[in-house]
Amino acid sequence: MEFGPIFRSLLRNRARVVLIVAEVALTLAIVANCLSLILDTRAKLARPSGFDDEHIAVLQANPFDDHLRQQTVLDSLVDQDRRALRAVPGVRAVSHTSLRPWQRSGSLTAMRVPGTRGEPVHTQICSVDPGIFETLGVSIAEGRGFTEAEYDHGVAAPPTEVQPVVVSRALADRFYPSGGAVGKQIGDADESQRYLIVGIVDHYYNPFGNTDERVVFQPARSVAFDRGSQYLVRTEGDPGRLLPQLEKALLGTEKGRLVQARTLVDDRTELHGPDRILVASLNSVMALLVLVTALGIVGLTSFSVGERRKQIGTRRALGADRAAIVRHFLLENWMVTSLGIVLGVGLAYALNFGIVTWVAGARLSPAVVAAGAVGLWIIGIGAALGPALRGAQVAPAIATRNV
Amino acid sequence: MFLYNTRLAWKSIRRNPMLSFLIVLGIALGVGVSTTFITAYHVLARDPVPGKSDSLYYVRMNSWGVADDPFLRTPPPLITYRDALELLKSRIPVRSTATFQSRANVFPEGGAHPFSKDLRLATADFFPMFAVPFRYGGPWSREADERPEAVAVISSALNDRLFGGANSVGRTIRLENHPVRVVGVLGTWRPRVRAFGLIGSALSPPEEILLPLALAGPMELQPHELSMSWRTPLPGEDKLPYASQLMLNEMLFVGFWAELPQASQVPAYKHFVDAYVAEQKKLGRFPHPNNQVTSMLDLMEEMKVVPPQTKALAAISLLFLVVAALNLIGLFLGKFLARAATVGVRRALGASRATIFVQHLVECELMGLAGGLFGVLLSLAGLAVLNRVYGDGPGGVAFFRLDLPMVFAAVGLALIAGAIAGVYPAWRICAIPPARHLKTQ
Amino acid sequence: MLKMENVTKIYRTGMVETRALRDFTLEVEEGEFVTLTGPSGSGKTTFLNVSGLLDGFEQGKYWLDGLDVSRLSDREMSRIRNEKIGFIFQSFNLIPDLDVFDNVDVPLRYRGLKAKERKERIDRAVAQVGLSSRLHHLPSQLSGGQQQRVAIARVLAGDPKLILADEPTGNLDSAMAREIMDILDQVNEAGTTIIMVTHNPEHAARAHRQLHIADGRMVDLERIAPFPLNRPQPVSPARAAV
Repeated sequence: MEFGPIFRSLLRNRARVVLIVAEVALTLAIVANCLSLILDTRAKLARPSGFDDEHIAVLQANPFDDHLRQQTVLDSLVDQDRRALRAVPGVRAVSHTSLRPWQRSGSLTAMRVPGTRGEPVHTQICSVDPGIFETLGVSIAEGRGFTEAEYDHGVAAPPTEVQPVVVSRALADRFYPSGGAVGKQIGDADESQRYLIVGIVDHYYNPFGNTDERVVFQPARSVAFDRGSQYLVRTEGDPGRLLPQLEKALLGTEKGRLVQARTLVDDRTELHGPDRILVASLNSVMALLVLVTALGIVGLTSFSVGERRKQIGTRRALGADRAAIVRHFLLENWMVTSLGIVLGVGLAYALNFGIVTWVAGARLSPAVVAAGAVGLWIIGIGAALGPALRGAQVAPAIATRNV
Repeated sequence: MFLYNTRLAWKSIRRNPMLSFLIVLGIALGVGVSTTFITAYHVLARDPVPGKSDSLYYVRMNSWGVADDPFLRTPPPLITYRDALELLKSRIPVRSTATFQSRANVFPEGGAHPFSKDLRLATADFFPMFAVPFRYGGPWSREADERPEAVAVISSALNDRLFGGANSVGRTIRLENHPVRVVGVLGTWRPRVRAFGLIGSALSPPEEILLPLALAGPMELQPHELSMSWRTPLPGEDKLPYASQLMLNEMLFVGFWAELPQASQVPAYKHFVDAYVAEQKKLGRFPHPNNQVTSMLDLMEEMKVVPPQTKALAAISLLFLVVAALNLIGLFLGKFLARAATVGVRRALGASRATIFVQHLVECELMGLAGGLFGVLLSLAGLAVLNRVYGDGPGGVAFFRLDLPMVFAAVGLALIAGAIAGVYPAWRICAIPPARHLKTQ
Repeated sequence: MLKMENVTKIYRTGMVETRALRDFTLEVEEGEFVTLTGPSGSGKTTFLNVSGLLDGFEQGKYWLDGLDVSRLSDREMSRIRNEKIGFIFQSFNLIPDLDVFDNVDVPLRYRGLKAKERKERIDRAVAQVGLSSRLHHLPSQLSGGQQQRVAIARVLAGDPKLILADEPTGNLDSAMAREIMDILDQVNEAGTTIIMVTHNPEHAARAHRQLHIADGRMVDLERIAPFPLNRPQPVSPARAAV
């Protein structure tokens, strides 16, 4: 191969080399950072809640009729609602709860092990009925769930009483890293209330409040005139098809309220909307960028071939076969592209440093940079192939042409 | 001469339509991509209340009562209702307002089914502070805040729904059990950033019903969007009337804005807030005083109103433009140098170096113009896609719009890119002595 | 060395057919120095292209160094050009981006020789044309005569059996031209067959045999000097190195 001469000849065509090198380097820097952002975002999007999202409907009932201002009426309405929803054919489980997954909303609180000091742990907390675990499709990994009696007692329980809670594994491990959390106590950071861990669920993820996967489930009937009541319904098939019946079931028990029914998947899709558009935007920026760069390489290689027709003829006269001409241009292009890629790796990390420092995002992983580099290599060679093949078609007889 | 140059350029563009198309496409992609994402960034990051943001300041005070939690040492983003009422008394700001979001059922006349609406509670100063446009009527008076009067300002969409779009000033709407008199109907109002509600979903459309803050107690309007509490209710507290609870509890849900047109007022105002907190501390509140008076634009930055990814995309798309420009230099260079012989003849026939330079630059600019216009179209398509995700506001106002200055900026960008990319190739072609062109023909 | 029988070469441009060579027959013996003259458009260049395997032909037979080269693949032709033929062009055809060393190196690379041997051959060939001190100059830094000497060195380094020269002195002044002719004479003397197209009667006269071509046909075969007698005599010191 002719590394030496090609390299020395490139040194004498600096304008072209500088252009391709700069273009390839910038492209790699951008592509690597786009890839990195895409992978990050997709990992975020793909993170499972741990619930049976695909089979869950969410119903929100907001009272407006005056007779529903009485708390006792509202409380007993919850039990009627649960029965009515359960009676809808195709319903597997129903739960009255304040938990609304995939909404970036909920309640947060700070807790610690009673009697200890130091930084409390922030966690999500939600009121649930005993049906919540079956409805979400999460199983109790240790201990037990709640009884109806605990649920009924929940709201009325005085703060002095230790209340039973089910927590996520992440929370249990945080307080009791060596295990055996079931049967142990946790408490509010201001020591106003203590809780007894009666059960642990393995998976829980609801993106809200930087609480990782920590949650406390508390048995309580959470309903008020201004907040209304919320039900999660787990269905056998597609919950979307059941929404009208579910809505009707709630209005059947009490007409004096506004009912909204949605599927959990719709909520999730809506929540992920901006991230999805980000991924799509990054993908299109990346694709268009690679297209522009490839066009640039095609263009510059074409010109370089066109400019050197006489030289190609001479080389052919001196004994180069067509393959040697193709090889020559590919090699030349490969060297320039490689130089661009080497610079691009540095530039990619510089750009990433800038993005991480001034904007946000994760550090660039070498694998991503390597993938971008290999991709650009292939695209660079591919883009040069066409012009190189055309160069190989130059007739050797052109060498003897003097005009 | 310019016309002649334009004609030469046009002929040259037509001679190699494929290459010309590639060049125009290259510019268009560069301009299209960068305009799309810079617009997206610009829409979110630009001054949400033009001419006023500089003078609007947000007040935070650390009323957290719990120690040994680092989270609670930074002041919370919201304040209590009762502190808000105290701050409203200061005459240092030209205007000030305290505001929070609630929700209530609206009962249309004639017994139709009620519907639920987000409300915003605020004081009379809110409207001039955030440059709220009116179609009918206007804001309520400061006296209406004091008394308080059951008055409301409603959106034009709600006015259409309830009153068929007629001037409803003086008419009554029913919120839950309370009749409320309409004093104003808003004009078209879809701020890209809900400047007054930065804590929470800052990109949502504004609420459609605005009420005097002081109605919160009598109408029992609870915070809907966001509230924080560090203290469990005192025994019996929840049995008190809601208005009394508001004055007693430590729930944080009110945003507070002060208008301080002169920078010199800021320290004075900060001093006022500090003095108020120091006084409260004597009464046992505010164990860890930490007060902040932050300008609106700083708060937007702090609250990351512009998602970091949008910033990253804007930065990346600018680099995209750089790549497209580099690409352009290469293509122009190739195109021009391939034509060296013709230029040689022109030079030999007496064309000056400057003439050749201008001729080629005109060609670059012509293609830059085409690319810029094409790029604007691409960017319109890109923004249409973005709008489908972010949704339209009330009245079908698209969230991301390409305004006229941005269109000019995009075309200008293309022309600049064309000029920058064209200078070196045009210089190269006019710098070579004519004899050499003729010989190497 | 070279034998053509009834070679016909046709150029087609649209509907027009041009017979650039018509039933062209020629035999050149090994070690001969033949010059070819003829008016412009007579087919001189076509003959060089065909004989140098730069271009194919439609009819006839062609043997080169005893090998039938009438119908060969691109790869085979390239190999023969590389190993057996050396070209000297009127406009030198040096590669402008490469220095003297790299230019002479080009055919050797295509032959796939080892670096050490290539360097030996290049040094020797460049010394033979007296340009050792210019080894790392670019073509643009050399005079026309020097450039043509580099082109000759490029030929010599390849050690071909046949040199095809297309008006090698056409772009040079007479002093430089004489230098080139002297080198060619030496090379021929060392045993390399040379076919040279020229317009210069003085240079044509230095050959063993002068051929004239018109309308794609050989018109006159005239032996000027009985081969192998009456060679021109200048001997340069460089010869010793050959």
